[in-house]
Amino acid sequence: MKDEHEDAFDSVFDRVFRRIADREAAISRQQSAAGQLLDELTAQTLPARRLLLVSNSPRFHNLFLCELLIEKAREAAFQDADQSFELARLAVAIAESLRPESCGSTEVREGLWCRASAQLANALRVAGRHVEAERLFRPVEALIGEEGRIGLHDLARVLDLRASLHRELRKFEEAAHLLDRVIDIYQKLGAWNLLGRALMQRSAVCGEMGDLDAEVKMLRRALDLLDPNEEPRSFLVARHNLIFALNQSGRSREAFALLFHTRPLYFKTGDRLSLLRLRWLEGLVAVGLGRLEQGEVAFREVRDAYLQLALDWDAAMVSLDLAGVYVRQGRAADVLHLAEEMLVVFGARDIHREALQALAYLCSAARAEEAGISLIQEVSDFVKEVRTNPARQFAPRVSLPC
Amino acid sequence: MSALDHCQVDTSLEDFLKKVRPRLKAQFQRYGIPPQDTEDILQQALLALIYQRQAIRDPEAWLIGTVRNKCLLYWRAHRRKLYESVDAAVLECMAQPLQPDQETSDVRRDLAAAIEELPERCRSLLTLRYQHGYEPAEIAERLGYSQRSISKITQRCLAALTRRLVFTGQWRGGKKTRP
Repeated sequence: MKDEHEDAFDSVFDRVFRRIADREAAISRQQSAAGQLLDELTAQTLPARRLLLVSNSPRFHNLFLCELLIEKAREAAFQDADQSFELARLAVAIAESLRPESCGSTEVREGLWCRASAQLANALRVAGRHVEAERLFRPVEALIGEEGRIGLHDLARVLDLRASLHRELRKFEEAAHLLDRVIDIYQKLGAWNLLGRALMQRSAVCGEMGDLDAEVKMLRRALDLLDPNEEPRSFLVARHNLIFALNQSGRSREAFALLFHTRPLYFKTGDRLSLLRLRWLEGLVAVGLGRLEQGEVAFREVRDAYLQLALDWDAAMVSLDLAGVYVRQGRAADVLHLAEEMLVVFGARDIHREALQALAYLCSAARAEEAGISLIQEVSDFVKEVRTNPARQFAPRVSLPC
Repeated sequence: MSALDHCQVDTSLEDFLKKVRPRLKAQFQRYGIPPQDTEDILQQALLALIYQRQAIRDPEAWLIGTVRNKCLLYWRAHRRKLYESVDAAVLECMAQPLQPDQETSDVRRDLAAAIEELPERCRSLLTLRYQHGYEPAEIAERLGYSQRSISKITQRCLAALTRRLVFTGQWRGGKKTRP
């Protein structure tokens, strides 16, 4: 009886393995064509022409081209939201044109469509178009809500992107819940590098929710899983976040030591924004260690560079850190001068009205010599939040004396 | 670097399949999947793997994890079918003429007893469904559930009812029988 059962299994395995081996050659052909198709596509300068090509020409209905576009859209999201949007839009168009038989199964095709759509929504999130991003996620969520419709791997990647949107909209509980599911899936699949990335995301949510100990713990786990040679950028971001969290939780000495060992990684990455982030972090750690003059110099450098690059929000945030140094040094006149300067500079730029309101309030407080560390922290938290949640209104906890 | 730039399945597909075969077989046997139902699960998992293998660092762990998940989904779908058949049988029984014969009346009594043993929210839900013939949307409105969650809650209550009926010996192999 047992032998019969074993035989039945063996014949099923033989049959399936044969079918898969037969299929492999066709898949390899599709895969090797994808790179060339991508070059052809990117050679077209007009986005509308590209979209027309992928929609109408069956040559471009290639699963691996779709995969490539999703990956490129993911990478572009760090630098250029518009480009990421264009690439993801092409991926969605291809995923919609693919026939299930050319993907092996409906599960693969639907998984690909979900990921392409989620990547498109992510590009919208990066561009600050949150309502449209939410709308795009709706059909994706309806599909993944049906158990087993898409594979675990695809599901995790979609949930990861959905969590990013929740996080940006400051729905931290929802983001944490989704990321816990993502972490569970990657553990089940033994996808340790992806688990490392998911832990980084989850740690950031812990940080936003004020749980710095959990943030530090998760970042350490993430760093154990990320390979600095395979994923240097993710590894650097994890280290950066860990130094920041250690410093924030009062462990500035530890942060300082880790910063010393991490500095070469920033230089290796080499781009200007990473180096500015390093300098900013150096300023924060210096302030944490009580070296206020060093902090001031670093903040000034970073602030000027951000203003030059027209990165207004970042410039506003680092200016508030600088104001914090002045308050600690008891330099009320400098606080006032800086607050007035911020108001003029950001008033002339495209910065949110409520953020300006908060800066104006800080200015008034500085004039009344009432600008303390807690107010600066409050304004800083508000400016950070209003960037992703434009509906927020500034309501200071402490009112100024008339 | 793109995730598609590095191929992770270094060995040939044939060698890889040879290597994972015993583990896969053990997995199917562990979950008690009948050989005839193994084919679909195995084929879907393998196709997904070869389509996505460039993005997968550890294909063996990935494949085993995916197959395990598919085995769980297989049994979940089977359980769902069982609950649905209990539901259909009960609804059919309740649709009998007003003057029930002895058997129908016994079934009704057993069912009422089984429902009585369930938690309050299931009691209310199943009573509305079986005694008053309410549709899920009406039940959701009446009990204050959202339209999205009512089917999940109904499934859970049906699962609890089925377990109860099986436990008390009133349900055997898809046919409602008297104890």
